[in-house]
Amino acid sequence: MNDNVIKVENLVKYFDGRCVLDGINLTVPRGCIYGLLGRNGAGKTTIIRILLGTEPATRGRTFLLDTESTNLSPAIRGRIGCVAEGHNLIQSYKVGRLIKLCKDLSLQWNDESFDHLMETFRLPTDRRVKDLSMGMRAQLNLVLAMAIDPELLILDDPTLGLDTVARRQFLELAIEVIQQQGRTILFCSHILSDVERIADRIGILAAGKLVVDCPLEQLKERVKKLRIIFPESPPENLYLTEIVNQQIHGREMTVTVANWNQQKQAILETFKPSSCTEIPMSLEDIFIECTRPGAEPVQVA
Amino acid sequence: MRSRSNYPIQVIAAGFLVLVFLSLSLFWASWLCKSILADIMPMDYRTVDIPPSGLLPAEIESDPNVLQQTQVHAHIISPEAPQTLGIGNYLSDKAPEGRHSRIYYLELEGEDSAWVYFDGRIGQINCRWANVEKMPDGTSMRKNIQFYVGPEGVSEIPDKKLGRFNPVVVDFGSTPLILYDIKLRRFFAINFKDRIVTKGPQLSEDDPRRPVDIGILSKNPGILDMYWMPPDIRRTHIPIRERSKDYNPDRYVLVLDESGQIDLLDRETLEFAGTAGRLPAPETFFPADKRVTPGDLLAYRVLPLALKEDHKYRGLFAASVSREGTSLALAVFDEKGKCIESRITRDNSQNVPSSSAVFFGTPWSPVITIGKFLLENLHPPILSLASYFTAGSIEAASGHRAMFLLPNSFIAMKGRDARGNIAARFLYALFLILPSIILAILLAMRVGKDTAVVGLPQKTRSFWTFGTLAFGPAGYITYKLTRPKITLVTCANCGKQRRTDTGICHQCGSKWNVPELTPPAWRVLNG
Amino acid sequence: MLTLIRREIRDNIVYFIAAVVFSAILIALLTAAAYHFDLSRSAVFVRLSIPMLVILVLGFSAMGVTQMYMDRNRRISAFLSALPVTRSRILWARIVAGLLAILIVLVPLTIAAIVLGRLIAPPIPILAGYIADILTTVFLMVLACYCLGLLTGWTANKIAPTFGALGLNLVLVSLVFVKGFGPDIKFLLVLVIVACLIRTWHKFMSTSL
Repeated sequence: MNDNVIKVENLVKYFDGRCVLDGINLTVPRGCIYGLLGRNGAGKTTIIRILLGTEPATRGRTFLLDTESTNLSPAIRGRIGCVAEGHNLIQSYKVGRLIKLCKDLSLQWNDESFDHLMETFRLPTDRRVKDLSMGMRAQLNLVLAMAIDPELLILDDPTLGLDTVARRQFLELAIEVIQQQGRTILFCSHILSDVERIADRIGILAAGKLVVDCPLEQLKERVKKLRIIFPESPPENLYLTEIVNQQIHGREMTVTVANWNQQKQAILETFKPSSCTEIPMSLEDIFIECTRPGAEPVQVA
Repeated sequence: MRSRSNYPIQVIAAGFLVLVFLSLSLFWASWLCKSILADIMPMDYRTVDIPPSGLLPAEIESDPNVLQQTQVHAHIISPEAPQTLGIGNYLSDKAPEGRHSRIYYLELEGEDSAWVYFDGRIGQINCRWANVEKMPDGTSMRKNIQFYVGPEGVSEIPDKKLGRFNPVVVDFGSTPLILYDIKLRRFFAINFKDRIVTKGPQLSEDDPRRPVDIGILSKNPGILDMYWMPPDIRRTHIPIRERSKDYNPDRYVLVLDESGQIDLLDRETLEFAGTAGRLPAPETFFPADKRVTPGDLLAYRVLPLALKEDHKYRGLFAASVSREGTSLALAVFDEKGKCIESRITRDNSQNVPSSSAVFFGTPWSPVITIGKFLLENLHPPILSLASYFTAGSIEAASGHRAMFLLPNSFIAMKGRDARGNIAARFLYALFLILPSIILAILLAMRVGKDTAVVGLPQKTRSFWTFGTLAFGPAGYITYKLTRPKITLVTCANCGKQRRTDTGICHQCGSKWNVPELTPPAWRVLNG
Repeated sequence: MLTLIRREIRDNIVYFIAAVVFSAILIALLTAAAYHFDLSRSAVFVRLSIPMLVILVLGFSAMGVTQMYMDRNRRISAFLSALPVTRSRILWARIVAGLLAILIVLVPLTIAAIVLGRLIAPPIPILAGYIADILTTVFLMVLACYCLGLLTGWTANKIAPTFGALGLNLVLVSLVFVKGFGPDIKFLLVLVIVACLIRTWHKFMSTSL
């Protein structure tokens, strides 16, 4: 059995002449919680849809549980739980009927887990899906995805529409799943604090490329934001490679650098700065820095 | 989502659907044109009269006391009548006494129903009727009588000893029933009343005759009417048709051969008694063979002549309608089978056969004819050419129901043209479908360019180009429906449209590049 | 598979109820026609049956269009694809449901025709050939129009499936007038059905959900 539950090889996707994904290579090992991040329109949902076989790729291949996405058998699909963006449910059905349909079609159904979740979320079974609030639909989607005891859970903005309490409940659920051996989660969300709490590997999409794909802790170590004060005006060129972002304010320069190492440290020291302080960054800060357009130094008045 | 691997199957499926719907639409449009042409056809384009008819003794023919001489009249009722369409043809054929019906007689009266039909399972004729028997006490009793008839005799139960009839040609109207067994090659006369089967001599192997119709020789009676008017002292009188009881030449039965020849069959000996005539050949738009077969004619009717006084056979009148239904020929044959008079429908003012006049001789007919011509040119060129080569082989009545081939088109008419050499005829035929060929070439060029832009493999491109050339609009529509849905973008290297699903530009071979995206130079990967 | 078929039947229950009602109406009409049957007026009965045929084919075509259009617009297959169900099973279940609806109309009608034939018609093969040919052709024609509905219904556009299917169905039904009820129309209709299903299959399997 391959250790990589999800594999994306050289994925290219065009929508009506507009390139969204330009050669994405990605692997998610078994037992990993992978947080896939990106700005709106970066292609996160597109990758998930291609992985699930609902969208054809323009070029490249994707694999789920060692099976190509275009050939996913019912047995493989039965091992995957999915919460799609927008909570795609059959709107005209009553909740009870929808649950029965999913239960009848699923290969395994954990009644205990299902009942526990239904009790937790207190979802009405006699109401139509279209009459539920956005949050309740999200909860229902989650319940249906979790009730099958999935080996792989794919969550595309699962907490969209959930209130704070529900969001916390969901996170705790996700942690519960994590604790079960061998489970893998692919998780997209705009609420980075949630991602930071549970993810152990991060991927960031920008301009059609996967610019970040590494463990979370490593990301925090390798991307550094520094406040440098020079005795006189800052030099025009620091001769540092992989500058993510740079801002100059008088004698002060704030620079974000990727893959910070001793070599770059040494280069910086040659300019004899008055002071050099590291600004601690959360995942959200790193994300903003990485996805800010352009790496030209910005002169702030 | 495996779509490329079964691309040929998709193309065939889409192409077939396009061909069916396009052919059906063109069929109805063409049928409308032909119906209008038939409707506006003046009476003299569809009527032939021969007065005097010529078969009676001279003293009767030229009796000065008659106001009305003998006359034989034939006219085309409607060549695009519903029975030429499949549904009409099917219902009329299967109906009792229909052309291909196995039910020779049927009277539905509940318990007292009577019938005569051919049971194909046992190869015997099943006959039943109600008989009224007078009892000794004076009362009458109805009793149903049923029996089976085979080549070897009659029995009240289906018995293998009776033998088996094979496909038969039957004269419904005669008593006794006369039939011809195609496989046994002999005639049989069945007397139901006396339960006697009379066998005629077997036709020899080298006898070229292949009877296709016996007795009342008629095809598509709804399209052609013919009658004979005896001499009369009154102005108005009742015309006589072939089913008139008094008019039956009781010694002979007419037999129509597949070559178009009409022979006389002696009812008693069941042997051929000589030639009675042949089906006359109507004029066609392009002159065709002078000898026509029943399959070449949309309709025919043959009326034998015998007087009430002596029932002596005096000859026959034969009328036939051309394939396209635009021309009628009427001929009179004497008792020895010699043709003594024959006429065709014409535009009398211009002395042009009706087969030509119908297209250009009446108001609006040129417009309709051009419409018909253009509709024929929307048909796939390859099928038009196939229509040329198969022109003579499709049965005339079926030709009015043909969808894919066009046996009544101008090109098919040229295919039946008996004049000139083969090459000259073929070139003329190509000229007739020139608009179709030009359209196909233009469409093929468009398709060829598009396949190059889309970057299809050379073999596929050739297939589509030649396919569109062969099938014209149908091929073009099929291409549009099955064109691979590939996104094309402008190549940064050559500026032409390139496919997004290949690693290199199929136009200039340059590597993949997306200039509109400017990802950062740095990456934080692995670990 | 049974679950999917049940789902299709439940979602399109209106058509199934209509099929039962229409079947009852047809049987009543057939019984009335049989008891007043007169060979000389058979053309009248044929003409009366034409509107019935048109209603039948348009009804089932509408069913095919509805099934696919509703799926496309309510993203039902997108939801089902997330479950252990393949697209081919979804489509097969849909086709089986349509076939069941057609059989609900035609099987009782066929049985009624056979029973009436045995009760009323004399024991000669006058009607047997007619019944077999006509019913087979009607079944194939209805199935072909249903498949056309499936083909034209898979679109987000409202106009195309409505008018497109209507136009194509009317053209296809006219095939009966052109070819009658003989073996050639049956052969053509089988090919049309196969071609429609192949195209529907390809469209359904290759478009994004």
